[in-house]
Amino acid sequence: MSETPFVELRNISKYFAKVVANQDVSLEIRKGEVLALLGENGAGKSTIMKVLYGLYRADEGQILVDGEVQTIHSPKDAMQLGIAMIQQHFALVQAHTVTENIILGLVRGRYDLRHYDRVVADLAAQHGFDVDPTAVVSDLPVGIQQKVEILKALYQNAQLLIMDEPTAVLTPQESAVLMNFVQQNTRAGKAVVFITHKLREVMEVADRIVVMRGGRVVGDLPKRETDELELSKLMVGREIHERTYVEDKLPDHQAVGLELQNVSIRDPKEDVYHIRDISLQVHEGEILGIAGVSGNGQDALCDALSGYRRLSEGKILLNGQDISNTDARERIRLGLGYVPSDRQRFGLITPMKLTENMFLKRSYERVWRRRALIDQKRLDAYTAEKIRAYDIKATGPDAVARSLSGGNQQKVVLAREVDLGSKVIVFDQPTRGLDLGAMDNIHRTILNEKRQGKAILLISTELSEIFGLSDRIAVIYRGEIVGIYRNHDLDTQKIGLLMAGYTPGAVSETR
Amino acid sequence: MLLGLAVSALMLLFLGENPVTAMGTLFGSLFRDSYTFADVFVKATPLMFTALAFALTFQANLFNIGAQGQFYIGAVTAVWLSLLLQDRVPGALVLVIVGLATILTGGLWGGSIGWLKARFNANEFLVSMMSTYVALNIMNYLLRTWLLEGKGEYPQTDPLERVVWLPTILPGTRLHGGFILALLACIGIWVLLYKTPLGFRIRAVGQGRDAAALAGINYKTLYVAAFFISGALAALGGFVEVNGAQHMLVQGFNPDVGAAGIGIAILANGNPIGIIFASILFGALKVGGTIMGQLAGIPSSFTEVMLGSVMVFVILGYFVREKLDERREKAKLKKAVSA
Repeated sequence: MSETPFVELRNISKYFAKVVANQDVSLEIRKGEVLALLGENGAGKSTIMKVLYGLYRADEGQILVDGEVQTIHSPKDAMQLGIAMIQQHFALVQAHTVTENIILGLVRGRYDLRHYDRVVADLAAQHGFDVDPTAVVSDLPVGIQQKVEILKALYQNAQLLIMDEPTAVLTPQESAVLMNFVQQNTRAGKAVVFITHKLREVMEVADRIVVMRGGRVVGDLPKRETDELELSKLMVGREIHERTYVEDKLPDHQAVGLELQNVSIRDPKEDVYHIRDISLQVHEGEILGIAGVSGNGQDALCDALSGYRRLSEGKILLNGQDISNTDARERIRLGLGYVPSDRQRFGLITPMKLTENMFLKRSYERVWRRRALIDQKRLDAYTAEKIRAYDIKATGPDAVARSLSGGNQQKVVLAREVDLGSKVIVFDQPTRGLDLGAMDNIHRTILNEKRQGKAILLISTELSEIFGLSDRIAVIYRGEIVGIYRNHDLDTQKIGLLMAGYTPGAVSETR
Repeated sequence: MLLGLAVSALMLLFLGENPVTAMGTLFGSLFRDSYTFADVFVKATPLMFTALAFALTFQANLFNIGAQGQFYIGAVTAVWLSLLLQDRVPGALVLVIVGLATILTGGLWGGSIGWLKARFNANEFLVSMMSTYVALNIMNYLLRTWLLEGKGEYPQTDPLERVVWLPTILPGTRLHGGFILALLACIGIWVLLYKTPLGFRIRAVGQGRDAAALAGINYKTLYVAAFFISGALAALGGFVEVNGAQHMLVQGFNPDVGAAGIGIAILANGNPIGIIFASILFGALKVGGTIMGQLAGIPSSFTEVMLGSVMVFVILGYFVREKLDERREKAKLKKAVSA
């Protein structure tokens, strides 16, 4: 396109203390266009937009607005260039009225609030928003609060509106209104960036789609030239290679190790379901894979299983025993192992030694004490044995967890949870961010535990992992299980469509 | 810390004094006689307790800024019970009862801060800080009413009888058994933190609350427990100061043990064994500073300036270290990415 884009980002990189958030990201935002920024959670979508909005400073790279290099140090700078961003968590003063929030920081000295009430009311009417300018923000539902944020941007005559996961808190009807507005707004020559991980929204609203993964741009496509399948592949990563799965005898006759009955978790404030009505059974000696694009309720499901969050409805049974109302400590005692996806936050205490991390879930067990003290000798010996057995690259039991590589850290978690999970083990993204060698190692451990007769739930966004290990596969979309299939009944295309939100009926028709 | 001393030296220059001789006096005078030397440890004793109080909660990633108040609560409990029991019960028994009672009152005082944190997610920093003023005013009130001396002249108590004094361990000095108690407390807290399951859980919650929660560790209970122990420690500091050194309770005594305790705990990086040495260092600065004021004609308030600047630099050093660590990590990452 010959026209200069409104905003151009060139080779932006952003590092946080321990992670690369953005690596060499370049993209254009054109006037009169809806750009969807698509990617899984943690792909760096929000970060790059926060850099543009002046909330973060890029470590490398340039920002051009209307063809000129600009330095943006704060949202105020961004605002002056006509860039507005609506955060996932709104930045409204709860105790103020709608009008007061909109004119906040834009008026000086004495001002006539009534006058501004009328201005805001006009602005709202003009865009078809049903918002009362005199209402106090804390009384408004989230959907309306979002409109207030949008009005605020419009009032400041923003030329570019960045929206971070705007539909996450909306009902389908509210979403439709929002989409409508977005399209209208761009028709007037303004630009909108829509940050999302929902494929369906992208196809509905975007003109152009930039796909991000692992902090990099992996695709920049006009909507006309792509489809959901291609996008989901870009988003999730590598194409699925050959199957490593060797079909054992199906264990239908085996006892049920883990059972979920109509499990739901509802956000009490937003009245949104994180997971809804999930029912499934995992038999002893079986791996049940849960496939899905990340952000579709996997986190809530894990929280429900580990005891980190309470269920709103439903029951969880472990070997037939109802554990719905027990806490994490009791579940550990009953033999539930859990390998969380964020090992540095939930799996390990990284500033502590390996021995201490091995002890983490056992601090209530008598056998690890001698008189009132921790049985250090036994703990050292145990840790040393695990380091050998799992081939953990560490200087010894006293090594600090932080000093280990990601793969070795994961082996530590695995070693602990495999021992603790004598009945059931839940794996959440067990190989996230690991290299092939470590991945293979961990897959072998998982299969080995299955052969020991444990019931295993494997949650993963990596389809190769799901297909490679699972006996049966459940697909999760928007917090609900859309179907449970035997491994060989699914193929890449079918599962891709299910993960994108097509109903099982529609999927079988396309075959 | 050295930077703090250097800055103090600079300021001495502005006062028109020779910093070298002044500093010489400061440290040299400590060794002039056994009384002065022993006084270093006397001063260090309550500091060890308040530093431990801060360090313990700090290990749970909590901030107990109210050690001063807990110290006063302990002091009030100690003086009141001692006065009450000194004529009725044998002295040694009184000391045991008083010790246990201060643990209880200080523990409850501190524990309530932890409870507020756990139950209502109240900001423990502010609550503990404000609780100091409550404690201070309770003490002042009692000193003017129930605990007022027989003569009724000054807001202070009657002196304690010799039987309820903590015994002197070095004849001819003021060094009392409280110092031994403080050493034991430091070692005890070290054992608690690094050798017992409870201490492990406190540290686990402090360094990785989410991972600890998933491990079935209820951080709310631990908040209360940590604050209880912390309050009890600071209160014990009040007890040993009253029964060991002051032998009475005077309005507004030792008004800086709480703040100094925080500095010491940070200087020692939260390690109970390190606290022993850091406290002795602070004790030395205090004693030496007073003497320096007397001998070198430097205003005695200058000691406070010196202690203050040492502390500020200690605390700054903590943040600088953290910042440097972060920058190093980032540089490493950049290198790894470009390689």
